[in-house]
Amino acid sequence: MDRETLTAQLRAFRDEALRELAAARGEDALEALDVHYLGRRGGVLSGLMRGIGALPAEDRPAVGAVVNEIRSEVEGALAAARAAARADALAVRLDHEGEDMTAPGRPIARGVPHPIVETVARIAEVFGQFGFVTYEGPEVESDITNFQMLNIPPDHPARDLWDTLYVDLDGGLLRTHTSPGQIRVMHAEQPPIRALLPGRCFRYEAVDASHASEFFQVEGLMVDEGTSMADLRGQLDEFGHAMFGRGRATRFRPGYYPFTEPSVAFDIGCVMCDGSGCPACSRTGWMTILGAGMVHPVVLQYGGIDPERYQGFAFGMGVERIAMLRHGIGDLRLFLENDLRFLEQFR
Amino acid sequence: MRVPLSWLRDYVDVQLEPDRLAECLTILGMEVQRVERWGSDWQGVVVGELLAVEKHPRADRLSLTRVRVDDGEPLEIVCGATNIAPGQRVPVALPGAVLPGGRSIERTEKLGFVSNGMLCSGDELHLTGDAEGILILPPETPLGARLTDLYGDWVLDVDVKPNRGDALCLLGVAREVSAATGAQVRLPDTVVDERGVPVADRLAVEIEDTHLCPRFVGRWVSGVRVGPSPDSVQARLLAAGLRPVSNVVDATNYVMLELGKPIHAFDAATVARDAGGRARIVVRPARTGERLETLDHAERELGPETLLIADRSGPLAIAGVMGGAASEVSEATTEVIIESAIFDPVSIRRTAFRYALRSEASLRFEKGQEARLARVGADRVSRLVSAWSGGTVAPGRVDSAPDEPQPGRVAFRPARIRRLLGTDLDAAEQRALLARVGVETEPAAAATPVPVAAQPRPLAVPAAAGEALIAVVPTWRRDLVIEADVAEEIARVAGYDTLPTKTPDTAMPPWRPDPLELRDALRSVLVGAGLTEVVTPALVAPGHAEFAWPVGAADGIAGEERTAGRPIRVTNPLSENRSVLRPGLVASLLDVLAWNERHGRNDVAIFELGKGYAAAPDGTAGEWWRLGFLLAGDVGAATWNQPARPYDTADARGLVELVARIAGLTPPDWTPHRDGSPLHPGRAALASARGAGGTPSLAGLVGELHPDVAAAWDLRASRVLAGELAIARLSGGGRAPTHARPLSRHPAVERDLAVVVAEAVPAGPVAATIRTAAGERLADLRLFDVYRGSPLGPGEKSLAWRLVFESPDGPLAEADIEAAMARVGAALLTGHGGRVRI
Repeated sequence: MDRETLTAQLRAFRDEALRELAAARGEDALEALDVHYLGRRGGVLSGLMRGIGALPAEDRPAVGAVVNEIRSEVEGALAAARAAARADALAVRLDHEGEDMTAPGRPIARGVPHPIVETVARIAEVFGQFGFVTYEGPEVESDITNFQMLNIPPDHPARDLWDTLYVDLDGGLLRTHTSPGQIRVMHAEQPPIRALLPGRCFRYEAVDASHASEFFQVEGLMVDEGTSMADLRGQLDEFGHAMFGRGRATRFRPGYYPFTEPSVAFDIGCVMCDGSGCPACSRTGWMTILGAGMVHPVVLQYGGIDPERYQGFAFGMGVERIAMLRHGIGDLRLFLENDLRFLEQFR
Repeated sequence: MRVPLSWLRDYVDVQLEPDRLAECLTILGMEVQRVERWGSDWQGVVVGELLAVEKHPRADRLSLTRVRVDDGEPLEIVCGATNIAPGQRVPVALPGAVLPGGRSIERTEKLGFVSNGMLCSGDELHLTGDAEGILILPPETPLGARLTDLYGDWVLDVDVKPNRGDALCLLGVAREVSAATGAQVRLPDTVVDERGVPVADRLAVEIEDTHLCPRFVGRWVSGVRVGPSPDSVQARLLAAGLRPVSNVVDATNYVMLELGKPIHAFDAATVARDAGGRARIVVRPARTGERLETLDHAERELGPETLLIADRSGPLAIAGVMGGAASEVSEATTEVIIESAIFDPVSIRRTAFRYALRSEASLRFEKGQEARLARVGADRVSRLVSAWSGGTVAPGRVDSAPDEPQPGRVAFRPARIRRLLGTDLDAAEQRALLARVGVETEPAAAATPVPVAAQPRPLAVPAAAGEALIAVVPTWRRDLVIEADVAEEIARVAGYDTLPTKTPDTAMPPWRPDPLELRDALRSVLVGAGLTEVVTPALVAPGHAEFAWPVGAADGIAGEERTAGRPIRVTNPLSENRSVLRPGLVASLLDVLAWNERHGRNDVAIFELGKGYAAAPDGTAGEWWRLGFLLAGDVGAATWNQPARPYDTADARGLVELVARIAGLTPPDWTPHRDGSPLHPGRAALASARGAGGTPSLAGLVGELHPDVAAAWDLRASRVLAGELAIARLSGGGRAPTHARPLSRHPAVERDLAVVVAEAVPAGPVAATIRTAAGERLADLRLFDVYRGSPLGPGEKSLAWRLVFESPDGPLAEADIEAAMARVGAALLTGHGGRVRI
């Protein structure tokens, strides 16, 4: 075998290999061609290379260079064919794997938090920004803690404001408001005090769309040397804006509670009519959302705090009322019925 | 209180529109809850003139009338009244009119004659109390005018707060209007034309207890002719919400609304005479066994706690609450005794409650009345009775305590008021504001005590020289007692809306743990796990309270103990269904399930964080927090790519495992609970988990409801899983932070182990045995298969476990793992008779 013959055979090999590769379909066919042409032991190229040894020494480098060139040319073609085959195969697979992406997703089970508890949490969050700390008090109180220490002596006409459920314990009753917590906090802490007291309350009240015998309140208390009614007004404004929108009008007007002096009723612009007057706000344009005032000196005294040195404000709100206004709920009974069709509207 | 605007104008000029007036009063603290157009239901009622009145040929009691209401044809109207005559002006309801109470007037035929409308009585219009005849209007009343334009009024419904008894009357509201607008208050005329025998010769009054009756003013009116009041008076009373009765009784009611002074009139003829021929009245507590028929014709048992107006022969009236039927002013009455007294507010309040007789009168007495009003009221009523019933007022008054108290004096410090209100109103401005509500001010001497707090914890602070002023408080303002009261008065007259607004800039309190921390964490995780939070009533039916849900070792969770004791009962429940404080949550959750099933919802997964309650043997109330949950129906609805799966006990246990993780506790251990009701004896277990240092920190009972209990609750669900858990820190918050372990740099080794045990052997103890035998390098243990059948024998099962070994400090030696597996195999054999399958 001479140089020319071998070179010609190599070129023929190249042409054939490239032709076969171009014609091959699928990665398996390419693998077979790889073994057939380039296999280290029985491959066609290996067989041709054995002819190099029979050439004169001076011819070998030149033929070797041709072998290398052809090998890399075929290897390159093989790699490209493989890549193309893979891409084709992948395209076919992906095409087969198509799904109906418009069908509904697999539902992820999630419950809902109760709107009352969520509203309490939201209220606590707002006042938490202003340094109010959460406390809790018992639900079974006594005439002394629920009334007398809040400056409501026995037979006081203001007792008409709280129809009370009594229990079969000596002097025991179910708290009619969260206000007894004020006294408890004052005994537990020294001023400065900023306290929030959420909890369940009870009244002797026939149940209808706007009355409940069990309901939730949040009480607030701030006491320090200079805590003034201007602070109360500012604090309540912030709260009204946080719960009902920054543009919400607020109104600060006189109210009456035996445990505050001066006493305050706090209104927001009607959430139904934005203040223009509608049946929901008795055409006044305003809705009362909480009662408040400066802590009565007698109450401070019962809390062990010197009413000459210290002063403070307190407020109390019905959680249901806030939740009803925020969520557009018309019937108080829904909260304790726990109809899932109602609860699952919340998120 | 209902305030007719036209009546209010007797005492003060009002220029404001009704809505604006309502807003002014509200801003001032007299909240107007409603502004009502009185007479708006007289639409279609106009003034007509009777042209002719003739007998109906077929009915004696009917008249045929012709009525002119305008320039057109007269209307023919059939009428049943007898007080009508040609020339009178009367209210005519035209066809289409709707009268109070929704009565609509149409053209009708009455025994052959068409009636084109109706002539109205005062009662039909709710304009007067007279239902007997047609309302005869004054002759100058303009023909054709709409009645609503002539007699319509605005009525303000004012919510007078309990501390402002002085404002529970038109004069009191007029004073507030004056404070708001500066208009002068006009007092009602109390001048009395006195004639005849002096009252002292006709009436004697004896007060047994001057604490219960500090003042009694009596007057005497002779020769009255009892009949209806003037129409204008009746119209006012009706607009204010009171029914007209007679000219004498109306005069007392009129003065009660006008001045806030409840006054009672007796038929003097019914009062026993003393030796001197005088009617003798005694004010005394009732004696046990005495009885009285009150005005409402109820027979009342009396007792020593009830204050009476009596005579020698017995009770005449329950003082301040209700008169007696026998001494009631009637059409036969000619001599009237006027009683205008002050009573102890507490006594009146208790009596009114005792007899469930809370009246307009008792409400006013309860709030306390200034002594002066007894005299003013007596004079005013006497004047009106005389004017409306033609009687003669006897000269003088019988007065048990003619000395009237001086105005109160309350020292206050303008600077202290500035600090309280956060304003910069100076002393002169404060004085000017007080003057608008009739509170005069004068300088206080040095060391004048300033009342900071009053009864029951009084505190007075001596004023420094020049620091304080004295507020001279009108006698009717019984609510102005301490410095803070003066501050409120200044603030409300200035307008609360004029106060500055600032966010508090005083010192912040120290940090405190949030008691809601663990509850909030559990809430968000359980909601994420698919459970909906519920809030149920704490008051339940007695049967619910007896629903036993033993929570096992729950009482061992420090700080979360249940109070051992009886249920707490409400002594005045609204209903039996809400009469006991619940000892636990599960019964309430069953109620929620039942409710939702009744409303077509069967898949229910809910939880509640709530309290249980009980009375301890020492009489104190115990309250404790629990987590309750309930699962029924399917885990989510079936969808196109997954079938529904019913909840089972493993879901319940999984929830408890999740809760333990969130609370930072060990995985719970389970002990089968075979007691039966309320739970399925084979599907219930007690859970317990430990916290840091091995402290018991979670306990509870979880399982499937016993079918009998489910039936008792009328539940549809075939399986109901429920649980109630006590968890450390549920009441107090403050979760300890997670303590992270370093990661092992060496790969974990997994080994699977199948052990064949008898069917009765539960998995929990087997897992415990594996954990103990495998040693501390066992990082995880999971039951991944349970197999029954060939080649196992009958009554056998194979439990397949995956054990994961990890070593923090070095690579795991194969020999160590083999040794551990060998220990496990041996322990399973001795502990459970288990054989390891190869």
